[in-house]
Amino acid sequence: MANVFWSNIFRKGDSELQVITQLWQHTPLFRDIPERHTRALCATMHLRDFKADEIIFTQGDQGAGAILVLDGEVRVSADKTELALLGNGDFFGEIALAAPERRTADARATTRSRLVYFLRQDLEEWIEHEPRLGARFLLNLSATLAQRLFAANKLIARQA
Amino acid sequence: MTWQQSPHIQTFKLFALVVAVCLGSFYLISSVLIPVIISFTLYALFQPAVLYLVRHDLNHALSILIVLVLLVFASALMIGFALPALIEQVSLLQAKLPQIVKQLELLLTDYGHRLSERIGADLDVSEITLSVLSKSSSIGQAALIEVSNRLINFVIICILVPFLTYYLLKDFKRVRNDMMNWLPNSSFELGWLIYYNVSTQLQSYTRGVMLQSLIMATFCSIGFSIIGLDIPLLMGAITGLFNLVPYIGPIISIVLALLVGAAMTPLDPAVLYLSVVVIIGAQIFDNVVVIPSIVANAVNLHPVQAILGIIIFGSLFGTVGIILAVPAIAAGKIVFKNIYADMANASLRATPAGA
Repeated sequence: MANVFWSNIFRKGDSELQVITQLWQHTPLFRDIPERHTRALCATMHLRDFKADEIIFTQGDQGAGAILVLDGEVRVSADKTELALLGNGDFFGEIALAAPERRTADARATTRSRLVYFLRQDLEEWIEHEPRLGARFLLNLSATLAQRLFAANKLIARQA
Repeated sequence: MTWQQSPHIQTFKLFALVVAVCLGSFYLISSVLIPVIISFTLYALFQPAVLYLVRHDLNHALSILIVLVLLVFASALMIGFALPALIEQVSLLQAKLPQIVKQLELLLTDYGHRLSERIGADLDVSEITLSVLSKSSSIGQAALIEVSNRLINFVIICILVPFLTYYLLKDFKRVRNDMMNWLPNSSFELGWLIYYNVSTQLQSYTRGVMLQSLIMATFCSIGFSIIGLDIPLLMGAITGLFNLVPYIGPIISIVLALLVGAAMTPLDPAVLYLSVVVIIGAQIFDNVVVIPSIVANAVNLHPVQAILGIIIFGSLFGTVGIILAVPAIAAGKIVFKNIYADMANASLRATPAGA
């Protein structure tokens, strides 16, 4: 039997790891990446629990990686304008995976939430292990960022 | 906003806390500090080799074992071939030490007499020289005896280092992740960013500096052999080792080479000049070829910061402090900058518009 005292309370259980893998696998970031590799990467990610109304990050903070909503709800806003309300399986903050840029919006948990941090450090270490899949992932990330840029341009054009 | 709430003060407070935690950790592990530093250095050096094997579909634990077995094999070869020669050269140096001191005494007394004649004052240089030299001679001999006495420590290090390195290569990332998970939500990303920046810089610095020392040791050993300096292998190894200490290390190497050259019988002034030429040549090669291609941008420190840091760390922590000064200051700068950026942003957000 596992020793409860010595077991790591932050470590993901097998079923939780399976859920996280499935959620990431359904995002455009992991398109064409085999599930067992996604699972190996997910095992290195970091689970964090947030209380209702707790700040996740604010505009101008230094970003360390992308965040997936495992459970709960997150409000993303900029200058008090709501940009998105994210639920289970949604991800945000992926710009920080590509470049050490500051956060461009605020994110706050609206309910008790469980979030999965996928840090640039994890990505770089994974790319060292799996350079080919890493290249695939970076292409997916570029496509996702391009789509977001396209959507933002359309929004600006509509507002103008 | 009061002055206590200013980002500068907040940053200083948090930075002081980080420094205190680091110093406390160093104090706690002070008895095994040297094996731990060596193991982390080996971890930084051999992690790419392990990753290379893992990428070629080898099991992680097996990859570590292969790398460590190769390391032990290479060390055994080095001990088998180079160590007897090095020990012989250390004994030679020990035997030559009184001669080196005598030669230095003659040089200083001669210089003192000439100085007395020039300034017209009656200086008893020989007494001052004798007192300084007798002290330095006894310190030098004591150091050599200390080196021999530390053989047991060396054996402990030889046993402990491979174990520590194996577990660092195998489990360091897991333990690191577990520890980072103890950070509060508000500092989680900042903590990781600081870790990422510091570890990236320290790893490239360690790899660069080790390779740089090896190149310098080889260059100087060959150079000293060609010019006919005594104990060339040992002097080359010492020059490579002193190269770990920026700015001050090469000067110490020149002084040591001059002392060894001065103790040669018969005294050949050409060897003295040429040994300086070899070290300066090695420094030029280092600055023009090695540093730009291997160590450049690893640490971004102003020479004054580095020299002051080496002196202060050396006086506080001795030899270990001298070697760790540059990477420690570079890491401290990154930590300070990141904390300040975070505090400044928090302060900006807290200040009402137009305030």
